[in-house]
Amino acid sequence: MAAEHAVVAHDPNIGCTGLDNRKMGMWAFLGSECMFFGSLIGTYLAYKGKSINGPGPHEILNIPLTSVSAFVLLMSSLLMVLALAAVQRDDMRWGKIWLFMTALFGAGFVGFQCYEFTHFVHLGLTLQTNLFGSTFFVLTGFHGAHVTGGVIWLLSLWVLALRGRLGAQDSLKVEICGLYWHFVDIVWIAIFTLIYLIP
Amino acid sequence: MDSSHAASAADHTPVESHATVQTYVRVAVVLGLLTAIEIGALYVKGIPSHALVALLLLFSVLKFGLVVAFFMHLRYDNKLLTVLFVGPLLIAMVIILAIMALFGAYILLARG
Repeated sequence: MAAEHAVVAHDPNIGCTGLDNRKMGMWAFLGSECMFFGSLIGTYLAYKGKSINGPGPHEILNIPLTSVSAFVLLMSSLLMVLALAAVQRDDMRWGKIWLFMTALFGAGFVGFQCYEFTHFVHLGLTLQTNLFGSTFFVLTGFHGAHVTGGVIWLLSLWVLALRGRLGAQDSLKVEICGLYWHFVDIVWIAIFTLIYLIP
Repeated sequence: MDSSHAASAADHTPVESHATVQTYVRVAVVLGLLTAIEIGALYVKGIPSHALVALLLLFSVLKFGLVVAFFMHLRYDNKLLTVLFVGPLLIAMVIILAIMALFGAYILLARG
């Protein structure tokens, strides 16, 4: 028991708080991301309804389509926790399946967003068109970039798992990736309500 | 490397002892239902706009809280992590309100 404590005490990843530094670092990063997205959401809301020319949100936003993509991202969060649970119990067969499915759902969300952006540009809404276009594309574009980064991270873990280099002993890697993934999901929960649903 | 694994495993013990796969699935079902009600409410005629906005915001906060508490395990993890996340989240909410107030006021004054 004493020997075990001595080993833990010398682990460079465990700080004076008794928590893993990598996990604490990710939570601190997510905290900073809250403020980043907070400023983008605040800017969107500050300029809402103040565009001089169209098209405006009520003319262009496709709520049924975005509802499907929001649901896809929401369910990808479930797949992510299933992946973590599988890796923690060293069930790497299902770990690999859930990791890949999470990445696939994330890629699906990015696909929906690419379609939406292309459609909007065809309808005449670009970054330069009006205040709505500028704030909308910057906010949702940054979110989409975060999701894309998450998909690449998930696929990296999946490749590691395929090569047999990811097991229960590495579950913290999956947990930290999961924290990031759930964060992009909760940011979308806020964006979806504030931009798409609230009239 | 082994010591790192031992520490990681110890760090995960509370998660495994509290949140199960069944819990995750139940939370996902609730999240799906809340989303369906949110979208459905948009198509129900006769709901006052203030009530609709309040309902949408409430459901959004509920979904946000469920994901953070259960999927991100904050409910079972060390309270320090909650402070680390909720502190900046509150600052973000103040930023949103401040930007809206400052810019909104500026634009109204500029037009007047």
